[in-house]
Amino acid sequence: MRSMPAAETATKTAAPKTSLLPGALRRWLTGYGLEVVALIAGALVWEGFGWMLGLQWLPPFSRVLEAFVQFIQSGAILSNLQSSLTGLLLGFALSVVLGLSLGALMGRYRAVERAFDIYVHALFVCPSILFAPIFFAIFGLSDASRIAIIVVYSTFVIVINTATAIRTVDPSLVEMACSFGCRERQIFTRILLPASLPLVFAGLRLGMGRAVKGMINGEMLIAFVGLGALAQRYGAQFDAAKVFAIAMVVLIIGLVSNAIVQALENRLTRWAG
Amino acid sequence: MIRVKALSKEFGTVDNGNAAVLALSDIDFEVRDNEFVTVIGPSGCGKTTLLRIIAGLIPYQQGEVSIDSRPVTGPGPERAVVFQNFALMPWADVLGNVTFGLEVRGVAKGESEGRARELIKVVGLEGFERRLPKELSGGMQQRVGLARALAVNPQILLMDEPFGALDEQTRRLLQEQLLQLWERERKTVVFITHSMEEAVMLGDRVMLMTPRPGKVKEMIDVPLNRPRSRDVEKSPAFIEIKEYLWENLRAMQAAQP
Repeated sequence: MRSMPAAETATKTAAPKTSLLPGALRRWLTGYGLEVVALIAGALVWEGFGWMLGLQWLPPFSRVLEAFVQFIQSGAILSNLQSSLTGLLLGFALSVVLGLSLGALMGRYRAVERAFDIYVHALFVCPSILFAPIFFAIFGLSDASRIAIIVVYSTFVIVINTATAIRTVDPSLVEMACSFGCRERQIFTRILLPASLPLVFAGLRLGMGRAVKGMINGEMLIAFVGLGALAQRYGAQFDAAKVFAIAMVVLIIGLVSNAIVQALENRLTRWAG
Repeated sequence: MIRVKALSKEFGTVDNGNAAVLALSDIDFEVRDNEFVTVIGPSGCGKTTLLRIIAGLIPYQQGEVSIDSRPVTGPGPERAVVFQNFALMPWADVLGNVTFGLEVRGVAKGESEGRARELIKVVGLEGFERRLPKELSGGMQQRVGLARALAVNPQILLMDEPFGALDEQTRRLLQEQLLQLWERERKTVVFITHSMEEAVMLGDRVMLMTPRPGKVKEMIDVPLNRPRSRDVEKSPAFIEIKEYLWENLRAMQAAQP
């Protein structure tokens, strides 16, 4: 006990020594500053290597930015962006419906779990793109093919998370509900669903990320439309700047869609924080 | 009246492949209307199992359990349970938790909220209606659990070591408040506990159970006047019963491997 105050003063005197920066800059860096610095540094390194090496597949960052701005100004990617986003939305919505309902049933009923678990895990670990030729054979060059690929990409991670979420709900809450005479439907809507939301949303965020991957992969392989198809076309023309520019668009889609799910999650699961 | 007759409960063999465990064996007792019965016994004697059977939460194989001569086949509106770990819904505020039992029984929102606010007041949580469980202390959380059980106006209150997870000071405070509450409401109560003081302080009778398989060793009358206050702890009768319980429980513990 006697050594405690000494340790305290030691850290107190040591603290100012570690910061060589003025207060305002330090506050900025602990906010978003460090991230901004990292991004700018990355862009500069990219720019430098781009000019120095002069490789065709690595255009300087400014060229990529130029292509990106041009895309937006000319509206050249708008129709492709729209068809990509439509596919993403439909595919993800379908995945959510499938994933939540199958996951909930598997989490609640041991028999359903035993029947489906092997399939769900097999499809989850299997590279989803393997199914592209099959969907192509079934649906041809239609939107259905792209959407089907998005669905196989994103559904199973949602199933697995939802099942785990439902299965790990505090059993005493279910018992409490039973003690008040809840029927199975009430146990679902009033206990299992709200209690499992935090983990379910973790699954939805992962599913969203995989849906974006599925969108691009599907379009690159079997579609004439969408950002993936566009990237494929520019790739074939060895126009690396435009391919990178599309990658930036996809990156933004990924970040924004994730932020939307996250925002919804924050609204609905504030109690868990 | 709660009547338990020749009740035995075995826990299944399906999951672990081991021999079935006999949790309760040949249990016989009755709890009269408006009576407060406390149940005490060594750990693993099946007290909680017994309570959950009376609550209709788990099935039983042999014997009879009935309430006012109707056999127990599941939970019923005349019974409400207070849980050891409170079992509050972490996403719902105090009001939402207390109205739960009323809402699932289809009571209109306005009416259930009025009733809930009343009981929140009774348990001394007025002003905390909009707080989440995680913002409350353990003692306050169990008050919510008690208010939730009382809100459905049960005839029988089944309490499963309700104060077992609380610190000593909170526990004593809640015991005293439960006594006052019981004086007013006069519910039939079955109260599981580990604490000898608690068993004698609260009960009209104390049911002493033996270790696994749980049996009723003895039903002990507590001849202490009501309304009771903390002072009864100093009375010879209180001390005598407490000592008697301890002798028995110590002997049971010592007999175990």
